[in-house]
Amino acid sequence: MRAAAGSALASGLAAGTLSCSTERAAGVRPDASKIPTQCQGCGANRCGIYVYVKNGRVWKADGNPKTYNNAGTVCPRGHAYIQDIYNPDRIKQPLKRTDKGTYEPITWEQAFEEISTKLNLLIMDDGPQSVFWIQYPMANMPLAFRFMHALGSPNTITHGATCFTARNAAFNATCGGLPDNDLKNSRYIIMVGRNPAGGVKLQQIRDIAEAKRKGARLVVLDPRHSETAVMADDWLAVRPASDLAFLLAMINVIIEEGLYDHKFVEEHTIGFDSLRDEIVTYPPEWAEKICDIPKETIYRIAREFAFNKPRALIHRGYHGGYGAGYLNSFQTARAVAIANFLIGNYERVGGLFMPLKPTLGELEKGGHPAPAIPDVEKADGAGVPGRYPTASYSDGIAHAVPELALAGKLKAGFVYHMNPVRTNPNPARVIAGYKKLELLVTIDCVMSETAALSHYVLPESFFLERDDHVDTVHSGPVAQLTMVQQVVKPMYDTKPLLEIITGLSRGLGIGKYFNFTMDELNDLRLRPFGVTLDELKKGGVIEVGPRWEEGFKPCKTPSGKIEFYSSQLEAWGLDPMPRWQEPLVAPDSSDKNSFRLLHGKQAIHTHSMTANVPYLMELSSRYDMIRLWINRKRAEAIGLKDGDTAVVESDIGKGTVRVRLTDGLHPSAVWMPSGYGIFSKYLTTAYGKGINYNDFLDTYFDPAVGHIMSNEIIVRVAKA
Amino acid sequence: MSANPKWAMIIDTTRCVGCLACVAACHNQNELPMTEYFNRIEEQEFGHFPNYNRRFTPMQCQHCDNPPCVGVCPTGASYKRDDGIVAVDIKKCIGCKYCILSCPYNARVVNDEHGYVHKCSFCAGLLGKDDLPACVGTCPTGVRVFGDLNDPNSEISKLAATKKTVQIGKDLNTRPSIYYIIG
Repeated sequence: MRAAAGSALASGLAAGTLSCSTERAAGVRPDASKIPTQCQGCGANRCGIYVYVKNGRVWKADGNPKTYNNAGTVCPRGHAYIQDIYNPDRIKQPLKRTDKGTYEPITWEQAFEEISTKLNLLIMDDGPQSVFWIQYPMANMPLAFRFMHALGSPNTITHGATCFTARNAAFNATCGGLPDNDLKNSRYIIMVGRNPAGGVKLQQIRDIAEAKRKGARLVVLDPRHSETAVMADDWLAVRPASDLAFLLAMINVIIEEGLYDHKFVEEHTIGFDSLRDEIVTYPPEWAEKICDIPKETIYRIAREFAFNKPRALIHRGYHGGYGAGYLNSFQTARAVAIANFLIGNYERVGGLFMPLKPTLGELEKGGHPAPAIPDVEKADGAGVPGRYPTASYSDGIAHAVPELALAGKLKAGFVYHMNPVRTNPNPARVIAGYKKLELLVTIDCVMSETAALSHYVLPESFFLERDDHVDTVHSGPVAQLTMVQQVVKPMYDTKPLLEIITGLSRGLGIGKYFNFTMDELNDLRLRPFGVTLDELKKGGVIEVGPRWEEGFKPCKTPSGKIEFYSSQLEAWGLDPMPRWQEPLVAPDSSDKNSFRLLHGKQAIHTHSMTANVPYLMELSSRYDMIRLWINRKRAEAIGLKDGDTAVVESDIGKGTVRVRLTDGLHPSAVWMPSGYGIFSKYLTTAYGKGINYNDFLDTYFDPAVGHIMSNEIIVRVAKA
Repeated sequence: MSANPKWAMIIDTTRCVGCLACVAACHNQNELPMTEYFNRIEEQEFGHFPNYNRRFTPMQCQHCDNPPCVGVCPTGASYKRDDGIVAVDIKKCIGCKYCILSCPYNARVVNDEHGYVHKCSFCAGLLGKDDLPACVGTCPTGVRVFGDLNDPNSEISKLAATKKTVQIGKDLNTRPSIYYIIG
């Protein structure tokens, strides 16, 4: 059934944008209007899209051809998520938890007053550092920083520790920042566990396809035949947790055979001699026994990679492989960075480059001074020597929140469009932690598992119903500005984030930091570029500043160079160079039911947030995608046939799931798609469908970065 | 575009990663009910670990030049247009489903609410205005190339001249307007 439509705001407004004959887009009917905005169907890409409204109803989306991350295309989530504005499970007004655990509607005024009163009392007792805010690192995160800093708390946190912080920390240590990949111009591309066709990055799969058309070779090192591997020239079915061995052997070959870029290494790196002394330990003859890739293949890949220098690259990675996967993920990511830079591909066409990032205008310029950054350490120990020195201040450590709540160090928190109760490991522990909080406020569009534990749930307007903070995410070789722009009027009694924070700030005595509208804020953000808000709203994307140019620029490392050897890491008690490190756990080779549990994304789902989108769940069912992948021979040895139901059990969790038998998976592992296992009864489409890897993962903090070590799970799999 | 266009599509399966963006785009463009589809992706697996590969094959109405569905239609609801598109006039459709039985590509679906049969039209309403079918424009890897085979300068004509393609079910003599590159 279709819900009542929000009326179109922009039928007249967008008339000037209707004729777009030069654009590569599907068509517009005369009765439809077309409004540029930014997709919110995943936390990461925020693709530039046009949303079409017909007869007051959201119809379809096209890609904005100018935006860097999607260049005119839209992924399946983007198409489906715009329709979620009509999801009957949306929260329609502020809610307050009753003593019985049900929720009653309240007014915004009551919500603001009660939350600020309770928070004031907690801050008086426990100090502002007992308060946290957690959200994905999206464009409006500066509002959260401002709000928390105004209160006096340093505890702004993202999902990073459950996703990518090992990678970020390793690249920071090596070259002082996170580079981007110039896939389009590369002649030789190696993907280590990264699957942009599943954890979708449209620009990356487009560029890989484009590079392949020009003759590039693609190597995919992944225990599973990923969707990216479908395009690959080589699929290397590495043993899980041993990518580091493969990479160390690659580095060994490149150095021993003198295939590195001698001039680049001499001029722009430090620690090469130490690396050369260390790496002799790791020839391909050693690595093949660990990673299951034959030594001949390792020699061949290392040589092909180096022969194509500098237009060759190992993709910088994301979650898969080494984002937050294993005890050795930090050093694996270090090895990825070092193998890349040995061939001198840093800041080179066809190699890795530091993406541009426009610096947005400050609110001070409009007479809105920023609150001081609180002079206290983050409760989770991120960036604190002696705790998790390599973890970043802005990401924090997400899964430390429930632990800190249980320890009484965090008392109150705000969760913004995130669902840690489902997306953090060890749900029983996470639930216990979040329940211990004396005040939990969730801001979301639907009743996630986390919302369903909260004292108050505040409904934000759906992204098609609001303007949001100017965004710089579409910046790579070009610097671009984009924004979420309102497409239709709000259907319910909801507010955008800035109005929610402003409403809360008044009762918290920090109202002076939030006395501007979103338009005023965005005007100030745009001021340095000589671009008006109207111009941005009309085009959806604006390029600013000069484009990226090839050539070495000093690194933001202590030495200003690429650091093969890191004295900073050594000072923090960490290995200054990557050395082989065993994973934390390994399957029992004598037990035919024992497997390592891996997971990954399917192109139709994001985190836990899209499982309740009816059309996406329809696709999951139609394509029978809610299944555990298992190697065919291993499955047959334990009596499992394709489509059978299996029981999966780890030390902390147990569940049942149907299996997909395949030859496209390393025998030592099973692989679970990551978007399922919703247990909030308020999410009527997704509830009870599939299981989630977090149900099987214990609470771990990697010693270097504090990440979750998401693949350090051993499960027993048996026929149900 | 030529004076008498012949619309056709080349689908390069070697670039298809099975993301289903084309399926979701089609769903919105045609405002389809939840469980009605005009296109789909079929997945095949080959080989044994670790010498293994997969192929994703996008499937939909092949807009045959010798369409079995048109021949069996008792009312003329299914018809072949001059521009190559096999179309359905839903006002003439009586829902007998002969066309569904006759289609070797399983490309047609009954509309649950009204009982007529509908299917991919190559987004006919969009063509001739520099617009593309919804499934084409949204594809991140450029799997689908759409255009006018009667225009020798079109991208599709040039690709057809240089790449080896196959038609699915060639032995059925349906003469599809969709050509596949299978690598």
